[in-house]
Amino acid sequence: MKKNRIFIIGFILPCLLALFVMYLYPVVRTVAMSFFGIESVTSDVSNWTFNGIDNYIKIFTSPTFQRAMRNVLIIWIIGGIIILSIALLFAVILTSGIRFKKFFRAAIYMPNIISAVALATMWIQYIYNQDYGLLNQILSTLGLEGKNWLGTDMKFWAMLGAFCFGAVGYYMLIFINGIERIPADLGEAATIDGANKVQQFFQITLPLLRSIFKTNITFWSVNCLTFFLWSKMFSPVSTEASTVVPVVYLYDTVFGTVGNVQRDAGAGAAIGVVLAIIVGVIYFVMNKLLKDDDLEF
Amino acid sequence: MSKENKVVYKEKINWKKEAALLPGYLIVIIWVLFTAAFLFWILGASLSTSREIFSGSVFKFESGFHFENYINAWNTGNVSVYFLNSLLYATVTCVFVILISAPAAYVLSRFTFLGNKGIKTSLVLAMSIPEVMIIMPIYSLTAQYHIRGRILLIILYILLRVPFTTTYLLNFFASLSRSYEEAAAIDGCTPAKTFWQIMLPLVQPAIVTVTIFNFMSVWNEFFMALIFATSTETTPVGVGLLQIVNSMKYTGNYGGLFASVIIVFLPTFLLYIFLSEKIIAGVTGGGVKG
Repeated sequence: MKKNRIFIIGFILPCLLALFVMYLYPVVRTVAMSFFGIESVTSDVSNWTFNGIDNYIKIFTSPTFQRAMRNVLIIWIIGGIIILSIALLFAVILTSGIRFKKFFRAAIYMPNIISAVALATMWIQYIYNQDYGLLNQILSTLGLEGKNWLGTDMKFWAMLGAFCFGAVGYYMLIFINGIERIPADLGEAATIDGANKVQQFFQITLPLLRSIFKTNITFWSVNCLTFFLWSKMFSPVSTEASTVVPVVYLYDTVFGTVGNVQRDAGAGAAIGVVLAIIVGVIYFVMNKLLKDDDLEF
Repeated sequence: MSKENKVVYKEKINWKKEAALLPGYLIVIIWVLFTAAFLFWILGASLSTSREIFSGSVFKFESGFHFENYINAWNTGNVSVYFLNSLLYATVTCVFVILISAPAAYVLSRFTFLGNKGIKTSLVLAMSIPEVMIIMPIYSLTAQYHIRGRILLIILYILLRVPFTTTYLLNFFASLSRSYEEAAAIDGCTPAKTFWQIMLPLVQPAIVTVTIFNFMSVWNEFFMALIFATSTETTPVGVGLLQIVNSMKYTGNYGGLFASVIIVFLPTFLLYIFLSEKIIAGVTGGGVKG
């Protein structure tokens, strides 16, 4: 028995250490940092000055942070509607008995497995290019005038479009998984009762996908809050108001920007805590919602 | 059984049924064609000169195939450095994560001890914590102890992948029959030896899947690298590509840029071509409990 205990401790210890060093200690320290005035991330604890909720007041009154939250909200609502509806449409098409299902599924999911930096570069340097870009070529074939997609007014939407293209496949896979778990005899019974495909979709498939929708919405919400890479790729050198998101604002606050050496690690920590709390609330609310309908089929 | 019947039935083309599916075919075919056209254009552009790209004659290859774009990007564009860094980070991480996570997943799934449940919950929590909550203390900690360079990123990537890998392997160990251990114990095999020689090989398929995910995740990682890769020598492909794009304004070498994009994109793409079924099954099997 004693030997067994040593064996268990030996096996679990590296994993526990990883949890402690990489997660527990940093999270506790970040929460603490958010209540202190700290200039540089690397400053020693002795140089921290306690300032209560000043950091939170600072970020919530900062126009950049407000803009960042607004951008994320737009991404969440509009991007969410676009991505989830296209993903659901593809999932329904691919489960309708179509040929080459596996090929289509793999091709649509593909953007998720390649480097997002490479994908973003392809969109920025090719699709949205003003001179030889695909989008302007399509527009000119249709007799419409091309646009500068990466100008200040269009940049946010260009970013959102490119991001949606890459994200659809993941949510589609989860929808497909949900649809395939619905027993086929439900559909057969409905067909016998004279329900057509559209009726079947709205009366049977959609209600049974409720828990899948919750999973997808949770993932999507968390994904939005930690949105960073695409914003960075669309404004690579200096942050622009049109594409700023909270994590970019945090990055700039903590590590400084080009031409602005003023840094504030305390405020950065406060942003991190705010984001983590929102993530926690999302999980909590979604779990509560999921509890009251334990649909088993 | 019923699946086999279905396949046989499907081989006879039912034109009426196919016609009803036509709108569906059209929608997915347009989407996939768009993806394909766009990848082929990038491939074409990577073999063209900047002038050809700007005049819109990418697929004519009037001045031949410019394979030197790749050679230049690899040598003078630092792509070789980024590529080898990413390869190093990804492979070392994959090996060490398994060495940490597989034993932990095994004891968590097979033995009851104080804190077992707590550790499992912590692992799941760790996966959902935004990275922005951990980077600042890690940054000051590593600066304080002068940990920097490649080893820093390797350590961070290993630790970052532990919660996912452990949680993923847990269910596979739990599904194995106890009779293996009982038989081994009767033969006088120690628990540790039983694990390494009998139990670990039994979950090999799960280890392969989780290693593919770990590899792709480290290869495509961007946020940590942006913060912790402070010199060109330690930069992996993601951040490296961003730097190539940023320096484009001065070099104007579009052919080289697209060649770099292809080089960065190729490893995970090739993995996907051969293993897409396994990857897709892993996404829906591991991530969703619904």
